[in-house]
Amino acid sequence: MATTPPGNLLMTTVDKAASWARTRSMFPATFGLACCAIEMMVSGTSHYDLARFGMEVFRASPRQADLMIVAGRVSQKMAPVLRQVYDQMPDPKWVISMGACASTGGMFNNYALVQGVDQIVPVDIYVPGCPPGPQSLMHGILSLHDKIMAGEIRN
Amino acid sequence: MGLLSELWRGLKVTGSTMLKTIGGSGLVTTEYPKEMRHKPQRFHGRHVLNRYPDGMEKCIGCQLCAGACPADCIYVRGKENDPESPVSPGERYGYVYEINMLRCIFCGLCVEACPTEAITMTHLFEMSTTNRQDAIYTRKELLMDESGKVPHMFPDDELADLDELNTADGWLRATAPSGVAAYEGVQMWQGTPGAASWDPEPSQEERDRASEGDDG
Amino acid sequence: MSEPVTIKVDGKEFEVRPGELLIKAAEDHGTYIPRFCWHNRMKPVGMCRMCLVEVDTGRGPMMVTACTNEVVDGMTVDTQNEAVQKAQEAVLEFLLANHPLDCPVCDKGGECPLQDQAMAYGPGESRFVEIKRTFEKPIPISELVLLDRERCILCARCTRFSEEISGDPLIEFQDRGNKTEVNTFPDHPFSSYFSGNTVQICPVGALTAKPYRFRARPWDLHMVESSSFFDTAHPRLSIHVSQNEILRLVGIDSEPVNHSWLSDKDRFGFEHVRSENRLDTPLVRRGGELEPVSWSEALDMVGNRLGLIVEESGGDSIAVIGGASGTNEDAYALSRFARTVLQTNNVDATMGEGPSAHFLAASIDRGLIADVDDADTVLVWGPDLKETHPTLYLRVRRAAQELGVNLVVIHPRVTGLDDRATATLRYRPGGGHELLSDLSDGSHEQVTSLISGKVVAIVGQASLADDPGLAESVAAFVREKAGTPRIIPLANRANIYGALDMGLAPDLLPGRVAYGPEAAPEPWGEIPAKRGLDTPGMLDALSEEKIRAVLLVGADPVGNSHEPELASDALDLAEYVVSIDTFLNDSNHYADVILPAAGFSEKDGTITNLEGRVQKVNKIIPAPGQGRPDWSILDDLSTVMGKSMGLGSPETIAKEVAAVAPAYQGISWDLLEWDARDGAVVPLDGEQPLTHIPVRAKGTKAPSAELLLHQGRVMYDDGVRLRNCHYLSRLAPGPVAHIHPDEAKRLGAREGVAVRVVTSKGEGEFAARIDEGTPEGVVFVPLHQPGAARLGTDPVVRVTVVT
Repeated sequence: MATTPPGNLLMTTVDKAASWARTRSMFPATFGLACCAIEMMVSGTSHYDLARFGMEVFRASPRQADLMIVAGRVSQKMAPVLRQVYDQMPDPKWVISMGACASTGGMFNNYALVQGVDQIVPVDIYVPGCPPGPQSLMHGILSLHDKIMAGEIRN
Repeated sequence: MGLLSELWRGLKVTGSTMLKTIGGSGLVTTEYPKEMRHKPQRFHGRHVLNRYPDGMEKCIGCQLCAGACPADCIYVRGKENDPESPVSPGERYGYVYEINMLRCIFCGLCVEACPTEAITMTHLFEMSTTNRQDAIYTRKELLMDESGKVPHMFPDDELADLDELNTADGWLRATAPSGVAAYEGVQMWQGTPGAASWDPEPSQEERDRASEGDDG
Repeated sequence: MSEPVTIKVDGKEFEVRPGELLIKAAEDHGTYIPRFCWHNRMKPVGMCRMCLVEVDTGRGPMMVTACTNEVVDGMTVDTQNEAVQKAQEAVLEFLLANHPLDCPVCDKGGECPLQDQAMAYGPGESRFVEIKRTFEKPIPISELVLLDRERCILCARCTRFSEEISGDPLIEFQDRGNKTEVNTFPDHPFSSYFSGNTVQICPVGALTAKPYRFRARPWDLHMVESSSFFDTAHPRLSIHVSQNEILRLVGIDSEPVNHSWLSDKDRFGFEHVRSENRLDTPLVRRGGELEPVSWSEALDMVGNRLGLIVEESGGDSIAVIGGASGTNEDAYALSRFARTVLQTNNVDATMGEGPSAHFLAASIDRGLIADVDDADTVLVWGPDLKETHPTLYLRVRRAAQELGVNLVVIHPRVTGLDDRATATLRYRPGGGHELLSDLSDGSHEQVTSLISGKVVAIVGQASLADDPGLAESVAAFVREKAGTPRIIPLANRANIYGALDMGLAPDLLPGRVAYGPEAAPEPWGEIPAKRGLDTPGMLDALSEEKIRAVLLVGADPVGNSHEPELASDALDLAEYVVSIDTFLNDSNHYADVILPAAGFSEKDGTITNLEGRVQKVNKIIPAPGQGRPDWSILDDLSTVMGKSMGLGSPETIAKEVAAVAPAYQGISWDLLEWDARDGAVVPLDGEQPLTHIPVRAKGTKAPSAELLLHQGRVMYDDGVRLRNCHYLSRLAPGPVAHIHPDEAKRLGAREGVAVRVVTSKGEGEFAARIDEGTPEGVVFVPLHQPGAARLGTDPVVRVTVVT
């Protein structure tokens, strides 16, 4: 557009501020489905201390969460539930697919499991591992922070 | 009275723990990513394809790793070596080598299955990606270069300690001396990949002595 | 049959046939005795000593090899006591003393009998610490086979196969003692047509096939049973696939057909399936160029145009050529499509080659392949079986060599069977009828006297110069002479017998029924009454512009024709040419629309072989791109044209065939997949719906020219499928002319020298090949060779050395 100043000067700064604010306190929705959930819970303990990123509060209600960490195998039966929880989360929202099973089905290539949670919800970060250790998960979270910082605000 | 003493006992733990952290000596939190957690020697991290000291690839494309993989995450295709400029010793080399890290369950069966110790696991675990395609590691990412340095998928990743790629587990349970006395004193795995000499496996007594030292 | 004898193996008693080998008897009753050298289809040799067992026949226990000892009444056998185990461990330790441990790179690794049996019966470790014997790593002993002598355990399977089974002993043991090795003779490559079988039976990785080399390991192969589309005997095989790509074919031991053997063409001919030249999208000619279009566009275009032509000029103005390359279901769909949708009776799958369709489909006293085993005499008057019908060749050879069957071979030159023949007759190309009348007049007493008792007559067109009707006359002659002989009529083309059984000939309807509007199957409704044309007739009608449109189904009239100009001119005159094919061929240059078809291993269905045996073929990989099976293309076309056939799936077509085709009653996929894995011979109840008593027609004499041309098929030629095989395409002999040494002397030709061969219909340069198998006065030129000129069918020939 002709009226927009070159380089989106003002918007860039607002983007950055909003993104920064978003990354500082992401509330994860608890979606522990299997063994990965144990590692996800460990991430909140004092050894790893997710509170350093302002995200120690795992919310039981999707209404209060903006990050969904899908930790574990997603069975075909769990898929609609997962999608419903995702839909209930307010925007902006992100999804981390934690571990092999959530990302691709892992070693369970069978009829019972969804072969990758990205078939149901849009996934922002995939964390490999079986299960990924707390630091692997944090690497995923930090990567997500980078992704958010790099992006523009929408909605 | 009882209630108060119970309360005192509980708060004593809280208070003493709180006091411990003054000065930082008693902090239990690992400040990842600024500092890394110590990982045990047999940690199962990202795979690496090794070379012989003379620069030849160890992988012979035999697909035993793919056959052993419970998650079917390895895809290997062999090809005939050009006798003039062979890639690996022998007739065959791994022409295609791909691991889907998102399928991989890091069980290490590929390492055990490998007849030439070509594939081993390093200590690197920082592999998060934003899409599924990036999680498929090919020969380009897996194979160490001729100096023994292992390439990284994202060389500019500030969050990862790339040195960990050069710390390999390489512990081959199938041929490990533990339990099989016949291998004691025989040249075995060296612990780190790359061009270096192989030390003989220590005997049981030597290892017992070493582990006692650790505990103390 | 004599009384069964009772033997006791590991405490279990059972009755077996006397004279049976112990190893086989034990296996049939559930006791596996390990072995390397023994093979069910070959004579025992006792080389490997792996099958040592302890046998007590009343004289105390003895250690003997189970593969060389026959069962005796009251025999007590112990296959796993301590002594036997010790023997097995010792044998394996010795075998492994020199066997390299390169299992990870060996193609056999994972399915290796030596690996398996070393695990199951071996000592687990070796006392041999010395350096192993080494040889040069794999040496190519032919275009297809590699030999790694280090791995060889000297079981003699390959040498016995080439000597006993295929009859070309080109691989043999050499040297003595610990230096013994198996190898070919210097300057004599292992150029057997059956070399792939030695790879299959090699119990270690000593013999490996080039096309499969390092391509996969056994554990990532998926497999499915099917039958070969090259040999019209349809040898049974297993397709091994990885990542949607066929990697190898392995013969299946089918008692009535192929005894697990495959010719190299059947074994390695799969390479065309993955060729880059496969058609993968519908093509339409626009302004002279072929352009890819969508299926719906192509089908609409073809359907509307063909519909218009049928409406304007009637079905007679449409020709349908081909249909023998697909399954029976495809052929049935085509037959029905032509008769009901196109309203034409101009259909021909034989392409005008070989014996008549009527004779092929409804030969009286149809013989089975297995009939040669208990015949008194087998008469082969037809093409060189080794070149054209390898499965039949191996069966006839075995019958003559092992079972004492008299073999009479009549052919213009030496054939692969001559060395085992009781009597052979040669005749001048084109002189078949002359010889036949001589035979019936009582000459060649030593041959005619053999034609009595149980006779199997294998008849076909021996030479291009022969009248195609000669085969019928021979059949009639044998019938006169020997009462009720078994007759096996030979034709080429993949599934020609199935196509004819589905009515793809102007005078046939599905199920071997003579054509007639009143005989139309019930779901077909009304069919045209007028008798149709065969392929030469259709090409003539095209030249006279009586036919407007041509539908080619896996057919190449130009490439197959001996006078290609006639065929190409005819197709050029056609108003509209539609081709359903897997490759672009010579005829497709004239096609307006080309539809990509699914080929071998890409569709389910049934096929019928030369004895009338129906076998199930299976799909295991998808067709490249948008390729589809013929039946589904035709089904959709019929819908576009407003006369939907509603075929649904190949299985529903098979059900329809079983319902409407008399000879195919009782044939179902269930039957073929479960109870009749080796296939079922139609008609199941033994009644031939179509009887056809061949008449002995008087034919022409051989021309009296000094030099006559004999043209015949050889195994490797320039067929479109072989042309697209990476390895097999190099094996075609190319343009060569075989000349007798004396003849060559007279002409002044030496081996390899270029000679000009001139006939009334064509001429070309060929490389002379000095060959004692070709009689004097005859020049033999293999048909359909890459780069070879077409010489027509007239045998009069002039040969001059090109200077």
